[in-house]
Amino acid sequence: MRHLPVLIVLLPLVAAQLCLLISKIHYKAGRYTVLAAVTGSLVMSVMLLRQVIAEGSVHYYFGNYKVPIGIEFYVDTVNALILVLICLIGALTFMYTTPFARTTDKTLVGAANTMISLLITGMLGMTATGDVFNLYVFLEITSLSAYCLISLGGSRGIVAAFRYLLVGTVAATLYLIGVGILYGITGTLNMSDMAAILSKWGNEGAMLIAMCFLIAAFGTKMALFPFHGWQPSAYTHAEAGSRPLISGVMGKIPAYGLFRYMYCIYGTDYKYFRVFLIVLGILSVCSMLYGSIRAMAQTDIRKMLAYSSVAQMGYIILGFAIGTPLALCGAFLHMFGHAFMKGGLFFATGAIRHKFGTTKLEDFGRIYKAMPFTCGLLVVASLSMIGIPPTVGFFSKWYLAVGAAGTGEFIYIAVLVLSSLLNAIYFFKLIEKVFIQQKSAKTEALPAAEGPEVPLDMMIPIVVCFLAILLLGIFNAKIVDILMLAIKGVAL
Amino acid sequence: MMTTINAFLAYKGIYFLTFLLLALGLSGIIVCKNYMKKLICMNVMQVAVIFFFLCLGQKDGGTIPVAVEGLSAAADYINPLPHGLMLTAIVVSLGTTGVGLALLLRIKEKYGSIEEDKIIKREKKF
Amino acid sequence: MKKKLTVLAIALILTLPFTFLDILPSIGDVNSAPNKHVSAYYIENAISECNSPNMVTAVIVDYRAFDTLLETTVMFLAGAVVLLVLARKPSIKNRIVIPKSKRMHKDKSGNPIYKTVNKDVMITVIQPLILVYAVYVLFHGEVSLGGGFQAGALIAMAYILDVLVIPDKKSVFVLPKKNSVALAGLGPFIYTLTGIICLIGGGMFLEYAKLPFPVHTAELHSIGILAVEVGVTIGVAATIITILNAIMERVTFDDDNY
Repeated sequence: MRHLPVLIVLLPLVAAQLCLLISKIHYKAGRYTVLAAVTGSLVMSVMLLRQVIAEGSVHYYFGNYKVPIGIEFYVDTVNALILVLICLIGALTFMYTTPFARTTDKTLVGAANTMISLLITGMLGMTATGDVFNLYVFLEITSLSAYCLISLGGSRGIVAAFRYLLVGTVAATLYLIGVGILYGITGTLNMSDMAAILSKWGNEGAMLIAMCFLIAAFGTKMALFPFHGWQPSAYTHAEAGSRPLISGVMGKIPAYGLFRYMYCIYGTDYKYFRVFLIVLGILSVCSMLYGSIRAMAQTDIRKMLAYSSVAQMGYIILGFAIGTPLALCGAFLHMFGHAFMKGGLFFATGAIRHKFGTTKLEDFGRIYKAMPFTCGLLVVASLSMIGIPPTVGFFSKWYLAVGAAGTGEFIYIAVLVLSSLLNAIYFFKLIEKVFIQQKSAKTEALPAAEGPEVPLDMMIPIVVCFLAILLLGIFNAKIVDILMLAIKGVAL
Repeated sequence: MMTTINAFLAYKGIYFLTFLLLALGLSGIIVCKNYMKKLICMNVMQVAVIFFFLCLGQKDGGTIPVAVEGLSAAADYINPLPHGLMLTAIVVSLGTTGVGLALLLRIKEKYGSIEEDKIIKREKKF
Repeated sequence: MKKKLTVLAIALILTLPFTFLDILPSIGDVNSAPNKHVSAYYIENAISECNSPNMVTAVIVDYRAFDTLLETTVMFLAGAVVLLVLARKPSIKNRIVIPKSKRMHKDKSGNPIYKTVNKDVMITVIQPLILVYAVYVLFHGEVSLGGGFQAGALIAMAYILDVLVIPDKKSVFVLPKKNSVALAGLGPFIYTLTGIICLIGGGMFLEYAKLPFPVHTAELHSIGILAVEVGVTIGVAATIITILNAIMERVTFDDDNY
């Protein structure tokens, strides 16, 4: 039981390394190996969550070397919940990609399964690690697999992947400079050791400059306002099967990394902490407004959802910018909820494309008659994005607003309400097109309009996301209690 | 006066050159219009960061970190940790450059050129 | 003019804070924070704990072995990505093609220019020497400079010389695309397997002192480091060969008749 943190990361890693060998036997054998590995990780992450709630945070030392000498994994309640989230959405996405395969060549199918498995490994490792340089290597594993999955999306996907490669490598290089400056002051690479040394005799000017580099690096990776340029085309042209994983979860893990740096390593006693809160506040306000305004003008649903992701990242960073425990809990609850909301929306649009072959909004007329469950998910996810109870979106925005009222920053509440109204505009447009608009000629003429709605492999993720959005909203108090166990120690 | 300038150049001047290289690489990515040049500038940026880390590990009078008979104090060998970390960074940079070149091959085949404005014009056909 | 202004602005913003403010430690300072805290422990205890006089090897393969496992996985991932990106070639009607003329280079007597005595004879002499040096570098990675990455690159170089330099030579050992990428996955798996055997032996992941072999503790560290380096070598060599195979299908040599 004490090996749980490493086994969670190890199972998808071993499955990825062996998948190409196993695919030589039969081209589907590799797929079942990876699916079994990710499901095993899911079970073990739930067990780890229960262990952490009962006993407190868990440390795992590699090679049994003491803390500043070797590498460690550090898991507390926030970490454990994010690990469960990644494994769950990873398993759902893996089931979902099956009908999108276009070839049965053994090498290519094996390589594609390896990519998704390594993407899941990279995200799991980035969450669980307690060492600064280890985070860089896991970040690169995640980014390389994402470049490949985006480039599989057709001719426009290749150019989008190349641009994302340039921007992503610049971000990783800036991260490495920030780590170098912090290493130059402290001399260690372990997060808790660095926090102890920085609070005792840190060099405040150097920490300020290091934080600027780190905010630029993490902001680029999660597509915050001035750094978001790569994101819309990358999310639009990614391979259809892996899009929910890339857009739902991959953008959130750098936000968790930023939380670890600001609150756990620097700590709230740092002299220029207020400066960072103000800077993050400005960036998040601009993200929320810009993302919503740009999303209103799109005609392709995938681009609309991509711009709305920019706005939703703004909510999470707003929670970090306010800093009180309730606001941080609201930010993390929004992280979990948004993974299911955005992932669910991409599951639904992929299913619509699989059945009808189109993603333009004008062609969505009256498809609820042919696809009831998918449209149900579209409606629930849209209501949750706008923020209507009892879905999870309402509760996360409520916690953010309560946190902002607690510190007296009423401008954040005004921007929250304004951007929810802007969200309502384009999501109601989507619902109106699905339910009220007349059927378009394109959808009527398709022969695939008869028959079962979608294959079973696609139906399971759709139903699970639908239930998750409602259940997370109803049981949000329990989740906030679990989060508070770890957040109370580090918040303002 | 000369000794202070000498001391400044010896102790801090190399950082200036390292960050100048970083600035040249970063501005090359922004300013160049050819994708191949952007890829090479990305490589220049990564090399600059590798130099920056290696600067942090120098010691006056230290020798390479392979143990020899008779020297056993920590001040006799240079710091091995940045060298180990930069081995990882070099491998990562190699992987990223390889993926970038493969993508460039595909782009050139599909669009017939690797200049940015021509690609944006021809993208509308697909 | 705008380009020059951009370059100048970025150069000033990045270089000035670092040189004139007191942020970074002086270069060559023996008492700066990076040189005192953790590295002093690595230098003083490398031989006694890890049985390896080369301290950089001790750091990357023993103390921070997990980082090297992930780095080998990054190499394998890069090879698989190149394979997947270059997998299919779209048909002519889906591409924008600018034709250009091709000529075969011939020298004065009419023979194709790649057929020289030098390449025919020298390669068969050089290749075994490269392989011997690669094995030497692998096994002596602990004692002197060397290690798994260098050995893997040398083995790949021997294969590249064989296949690439003379296009119509029959090679003794051929590794097609589908086998080389599977071999590239096997390399990091050997690394992970060493760690899992340590788990089975009762210790933490990658704790070499708990390998279940009946030898002295210092020998156990050497066995662990050697097994790990073999995994790294196989991974690196197979990845370089995979990238070569993926690119070779799509380029034409000046010497080809088509």
